[in-house]
Amino acid sequence: MFGYYVSLAIRSLRGTPVLSALMVAAIAVGVGASMTVLTLNYMMSQNPLAHKDSVLYAVQLDSWDPNEAYQRSSNEMPVQLTYRDATALLRSDIPARQAAMHRYGFTVSSDDFELRPFSGEARITTRQFFALFDVPFLYGGTWDADADSSPVQQVVLSKATNEKLFGGENSVGRSIDLNGEPFTVVGVIDKWNPSPKIYDLNNGPFNEAEELYIPFGLHRKFEIYSWGNTNGWASGDSGEGYEGHLQGESVWIQYWVELQSAEQLENYRDFLTGYIREQKQQGRFQRPLKFALTRPSEWLVLNEVLSDDNRVLGWLSLAFLLVCVVNAVALMLAKFLRKAPEAGVRRALGASRQAVFVQHVIESGCIGVFGGLCGILLALVGLGTIRQLSFGYIDQVATMDWLMMLAAVGLAILASLLAGIYPAWRVSRTNPSLYLKTQ
Amino acid sequence: MLKMHNIRKSYRTDTIETHALRDFSLEVNEGEFVSVTGPSGSGKTTFLNIAGMLETPTGGEYLLDGDNVSHLNDRQRSRLRNEKIGFIFQGFNLIPDLNLFDNIDVPLRYRGFNSKERRRRIEKVLEQVGLSARAKHLPSQLSGGQQQRVAIARALAGEPRFLLADEPTGNLDSLMARQVMELLEFINEWGTTIVMVTHDPDLARRAHRNIQIVDGQVSDLQRAVAAAEAATA
Amino acid sequence: MLELKPMLSALWRNKISAMLIALQLALTLAIVSNASIIVQDRIEKMARPTGMPVEDLIAVTFQPIAQDYDMHGAVLADLDLLRSIPGVVDATHTNQIPVSGSGSASVFHNQPNQEIGGEVSNYYETGPHFIQTLGMNLVAGRNFTPADMQVVQPNEDSRTRVAIITRQMADALYPDGNALGKSFYNSNGTDPVEIVGIVERHLGAWVSWSKAGNVIFFPRLVETNFKRYMVRAEPGRRDEVLKAVEKQLAERDPQRVMHIETLAERLERSYMSDNVMVKVLSAVVTLLTFIVALGIVGLTVFWINQRRKQIGVRRALGATRLNISRYFLVENTLIAITGVALGMAGAQIANHFMVSSYSQPALSLPVLLVCALILVSVSLAAALVPALRAANISPATATRSV
Repeated sequence: MFGYYVSLAIRSLRGTPVLSALMVAAIAVGVGASMTVLTLNYMMSQNPLAHKDSVLYAVQLDSWDPNEAYQRSSNEMPVQLTYRDATALLRSDIPARQAAMHRYGFTVSSDDFELRPFSGEARITTRQFFALFDVPFLYGGTWDADADSSPVQQVVLSKATNEKLFGGENSVGRSIDLNGEPFTVVGVIDKWNPSPKIYDLNNGPFNEAEELYIPFGLHRKFEIYSWGNTNGWASGDSGEGYEGHLQGESVWIQYWVELQSAEQLENYRDFLTGYIREQKQQGRFQRPLKFALTRPSEWLVLNEVLSDDNRVLGWLSLAFLLVCVVNAVALMLAKFLRKAPEAGVRRALGASRQAVFVQHVIESGCIGVFGGLCGILLALVGLGTIRQLSFGYIDQVATMDWLMMLAAVGLAILASLLAGIYPAWRVSRTNPSLYLKTQ
Repeated sequence: MLKMHNIRKSYRTDTIETHALRDFSLEVNEGEFVSVTGPSGSGKTTFLNIAGMLETPTGGEYLLDGDNVSHLNDRQRSRLRNEKIGFIFQGFNLIPDLNLFDNIDVPLRYRGFNSKERRRRIEKVLEQVGLSARAKHLPSQLSGGQQQRVAIARALAGEPRFLLADEPTGNLDSLMARQVMELLEFINEWGTTIVMVTHDPDLARRAHRNIQIVDGQVSDLQRAVAAAEAATA
Repeated sequence: MLELKPMLSALWRNKISAMLIALQLALTLAIVSNASIIVQDRIEKMARPTGMPVEDLIAVTFQPIAQDYDMHGAVLADLDLLRSIPGVVDATHTNQIPVSGSGSASVFHNQPNQEIGGEVSNYYETGPHFIQTLGMNLVAGRNFTPADMQVVQPNEDSRTRVAIITRQMADALYPDGNALGKSFYNSNGTDPVEIVGIVERHLGAWVSWSKAGNVIFFPRLVETNFKRYMVRAEPGRRDEVLKAVEKQLAERDPQRVMHIETLAERLERSYMSDNVMVKVLSAVVTLLTFIVALGIVGLTVFWINQRRKQIGVRRALGATRLNISRYFLVENTLIAITGVALGMAGAQIANHFMVSSYSQPALSLPVLLVCALILVSVSLAAALVPALRAANISPATATRSV
């Protein structure tokens, strides 16, 4: 019977082309607009570390101004650490893995004269970064442990950078110049581009992953200042010069740990508590003792990756869809009631109320399928427009995967079924004898 | 075969209650051709709708083929209607979007026949009413008489035991009306019981038996005659 | 004569359809008014004066390859070169590109030795040419002189003694006015910095910052491992100047990585999310109004078809064409007004939610009323054509059966 109802539905839709087009358009526009926005929000809300969500933690310590809590995060703690605290935490052997890091930029040049020097986005980090975030290696591996604390000029390249510099071949052992100094390639990672860029959400959560990965022991040698956010509250506190910057209270290091068991977690909490107590004795950490270990999923929320604007658009688009559904209800009601005489005849010929109901619900479902397909096209146009308006910044998130396309059709069918249920019920309940006698 | 006992049917609006049928009792035997007459508003159509289970009576008993159908649910009644009853209307009530073939197909679909069986039956009834050549035509391309023949074919396709006709010739000129009437008589001879509501006294007389409804009841005169016949039998 | 009573009872019989239209209009008003207020807010935000001739400005960022680089010398040579390029009005070094979304800020006080309170301000490290380069208007005091300039290493205490600030910042530090000649201090600081000049306005590095417009300029060159210049071209010569700048800077010193862009491009990027918001919301408002109008047309046509016979009877009984059209228009207006009334309440509730949860602007009554009026007009316009066509239904329809 399903096939029969579908063929009846298509015949019926063709019978009133203008009304059908209006209904399909209402559903398509509603689905197109809401899928455009929901796709963006869905992609922005992805957790690229979902598979390690139960073991990874972002570390926050409240080292902020005794007079005033940190205002720029919802849990009133800086989202980054001071260099001093980061290096101290690195000495703990409790976490299974841990990584301190920040963004930086090097000029990249090589003896190859065909290559113009360029500015390479770099991540200054510690050796377990790759294992912690499951970064796959194409060639080689991470640097040695001593490179995290002493100046060792080694580098891990991204796949794209390796292609640019070495044509994609195994470049382990080769050398490139960063800021004019020779660095040895120790590894090349495979394509890796978490979106949102969860490990460092400071400079645009949808920026690309870095091109170069540099050991943490080079700060003093290159006098590295973070290219990310640096926030301070005590100016000129610990002396001048670069050493003063490293020992100061400015926060600019992101810190992640992997704690694989409840016991490890408990031990690490004790460790942090002990560390803050010890620092308090030295006159630091004058605020009430407070730290936080936050899982990736919560970290995304804490950092408001999905902005208020996105949320507003999300609600608006759902309200928009609702209007389109109400619109479709009204049109379908008109259409089905016009067809009530036919339903009456069918009842006389042996169709039960249920059969009439199902027939009309399927008709509304067909409108949903067409509306959904048109809606996908509209959503693709909408996303394309947004990509264009965004200068490529959100290219990664303004795309529809198969899941979202399926969701679009699903949403359209759901919307049209919702829109069709009342009109179908009405037409199935009308007394057939009303339409059989009178003309 | 068809037996109504003390059927009541009333319609209620906000202010008034109308009694369309009051203590209506009637029996139709298998193979009979019964005509139903009566003035406008006397309850003829209500009787037909209840007989066809399109409406449920407010009270009383209705037995179809010996089964009490008064208490069946919609799905069971629809099933019975589909299997046992064929409807013919004054206005033909063909579905305008569907061609003749698909119109006749409608009751067979609800019956659940496979496509081969449906095709066989449709071709058979189309031939019976002499419209095989026009199976792909839309109802609007046919004359009134032809449309009514299609409607009859549609009613017959499921091989029902009963044919309920509501003014089947009301919209037709006299020639076409006679053709349709002859077709109905032919069908009746082959064993289908027919109940026909009509205004036309000539047509009514051609039936085996005429029932007159007045004010929602079988008229007293006829009841008296029936009682007398029963007594003498 | 308006036949209100029979009209109302006719509406009551079609109450579901009437309610669906009213509901659509209500929801639409709630969405449209809230979207409009956001659009208005963002357009106003983007239209704020930057205090600069944005179209004439070019931003340069460079990073030398060599580690031991004479940054001070390079800056002096580069700036001399830049100012000599034909079409260049002026050029200056800077620590940040205006309206780029990236820059420095700190808290300043109008008293020494303060830890709490103070006023947060965006700050520039630049030189005497910045007023001319950024096309700013010095409303009080003087520009920097070469003698004010200090060249320092990163994180070195600069001991800058003078600064120029925006009028907004001046009013924030000294609400009573007369900031010129007075001093301000770092947090916990004891060394006064004298306000030697006040510029009319400057938006600063962050366009979406709540304190945008709080800006301080210091005469300072910090020898960081990368540096920025702002270059101002004569009106209409920006693109030509940009090419010349790129070429000549590269020629003077090829051993560095350079990035050159127009400030207009930068500003557009900074307003990207606002721009997306305006475009998306405008599209939503337009589409929604259109869809609702189409829906009303569809339903009015349907209703009129349902009542063809009734209309014919009315015409046969002496109703004029005007009577018929007016009947449907009045009916439509009744529904529209009901919907809009509901929508005004809905809009307020939605707005309350938007303001409290998502920091969006509050809905003002005039905006709401204008949106309501527009929707009622759209609804009437949508019903107009079907209603006029209804008047053409012939009185003979009454007597025809079918």
